[in-house]
Amino acid sequence: MTAAWVARPTVLRLVLRDVAAAASAGFLALVVLAALLAPWLAPFDPYETDLMAVMQPPGGQDYPLGTDGQGRDMLSRLLFGLRVTLAMGLTALVFGGVIGVTVGFIAAYWRRVDGLLMRLMDVLLSFPAILFGLALAAIFGPGLIAVVIALSVATVPLMARIARSTALVVMAQDYIEAARATGMGDWRLIRRHLAPNCVAPLMVFATLRLGQVILLGSALSFLGLGAQAPTAELGAMAAQGRTFLFFAPHISVIPSFAIFAIVLACNLLGDALRDALDPKLRP
Amino acid sequence: MWRHAAGRIALAVPVLLGVVLVGFLLMQVVPTDPAIVRAGPMASMEVVEAIRRDLGLDQPLHVQFALYLWRLLHGDLGVSIINNVPVARELGNTIGPTLELMAASLIWSIPLGIGMGTLAAYLRGSFTDRAIMALSVAGVSVPVFFLGLVLIWYVGFQWQLLPFTGRQGPLWTLEGLRGVALPAITLGGVFVGPVARMTRTAVLETLSADHVRTARAKGLTETAVVLHHALRNALIPVVTLIGLQIGFLLGGAVVTETVFSWPGVGRLAVGAITSSDFPMAQGTIIVLSAGFILVNLAVDLLYGVLDPRVRGA
Repeated sequence: MTAAWVARPTVLRLVLRDVAAAASAGFLALVVLAALLAPWLAPFDPYETDLMAVMQPPGGQDYPLGTDGQGRDMLSRLLFGLRVTLAMGLTALVFGGVIGVTVGFIAAYWRRVDGLLMRLMDVLLSFPAILFGLALAAIFGPGLIAVVIALSVATVPLMARIARSTALVVMAQDYIEAARATGMGDWRLIRRHLAPNCVAPLMVFATLRLGQVILLGSALSFLGLGAQAPTAELGAMAAQGRTFLFFAPHISVIPSFAIFAIVLACNLLGDALRDALDPKLRP
Repeated sequence: MWRHAAGRIALAVPVLLGVVLVGFLLMQVVPTDPAIVRAGPMASMEVVEAIRRDLGLDQPLHVQFALYLWRLLHGDLGVSIINNVPVARELGNTIGPTLELMAASLIWSIPLGIGMGTLAAYLRGSFTDRAIMALSVAGVSVPVFFLGLVLIWYVGFQWQLLPFTGRQGPLWTLEGLRGVALPAITLGGVFVGPVARMTRTAVLETLSADHVRTARAKGLTETAVVLHHALRNALIPVVTLIGLQIGFLLGGAVVTETVFSWPGVGRLAVGAITSSDFPMAQGTIIVLSAGFILVNLAVDLLYGVLDPRVRGA
């Protein structure tokens, strides 16, 4: 693991040499760009219904990806759906990540609370994310807020464990000892020396986790526990298309495939980053 | 051995209690009065008051929790707001189908995943290895509902090969087996990938172990080395990891049940939550969590039996 901190420039080169990883990184960049520029890229209002043009198949002149059951343009809904789905995933990742990393650092730095904090994380970890989703949707009512909280809670213990084990490796390095010998305070030490040296492995895990969070969040929306109609969200769009599956499968297939592609790209990129950082696992 | 088991059980009990407490508090924050629900819409105020006293709802919160625990231990989980059916009865009707679906998914996906993982490890770096790993990454990336909808569209609708809505009958009948086929292929389909991946890692580790080198040195065939010496020792971590993935399987089961209208606990829970049937939602969540804690506990204990090294830890 220690090689990771020495050889950062080569990591980028290794990842870019991997065709699948480079393609994934490019694809994810395009997806983010498309989501950001959705209002300018979308040819139609994603919520505007046209009852004269329902369930148009993809490939038409006006509607390149067809229309849904209420005659709304699929391309516009896909672009806006990317926004909601990505925002949901990233918000949960940031919340869960910040809390988890804080807990992990505290556990690694102040060993007295380590046992207690980590047992608590084990308890959280022993519940599958879907149960958090169900419980929070029952308490707050179905909606994006419940989903984001559930996904954050499910992310905290995973992040805490990775942050703790990474921090323990860094804490054993000589430069930490040296910094401490100069009389540096705890917070300054964590901010200046510990945290920056943990960033790379945490980013790898975050990339992999983003895929899982998006997969889970869209599943909860598909179940009707997340984004509510008429919100354009990829999982909810796939669920709405179920009614028309036998007449117009594209309504479900397009958003489902988009989720698949995004999650696949996150996983491929995360795997490649991990292999590049940890030469032991390299095939 | 016993210390390991006792420690695990000692940890599971407070967690289980915590789950029940959260479930109990859930009912305190939702805007319904269980007494009115039990009495039904036509009841007079006196009847509601009597039920309230009966359920102990006029008592302080900690007494209410004790009463709630007492009722829970006697299988009383309350009554559905929507159709007045006891929650426990609905749960009893749906647990069977959920277990059926899970069993039907695991029975083919675990052997296939272990086989694929072993093959990938044995042929490390080859095209086969890459193909299997690519397939497994795709497997962990595909939304369960996407796989389900694709199977419904092709196998169920276009080719008319298998039914795709609801449970057709008990598993020992042909109809029942045909009915569970598509849901089990869907749910098992997303499970093969992780199993193959875990098996590959575990087998790779044992393949470089000393005892495997010895087995090779004494002239055993490669098949014997891989199957009897590498895979066999790799199975302990694999079995544990599979057990710990049951939560992942549960998430998939909830979605699969909804896609295929399979009458299981997951579909019941989702229906209860989206229709604001709070007692039903509470009951399903508590039972799912409790079942999950017990599975984890069982896996932990099994691990202790399989691998003597963890007993002391």
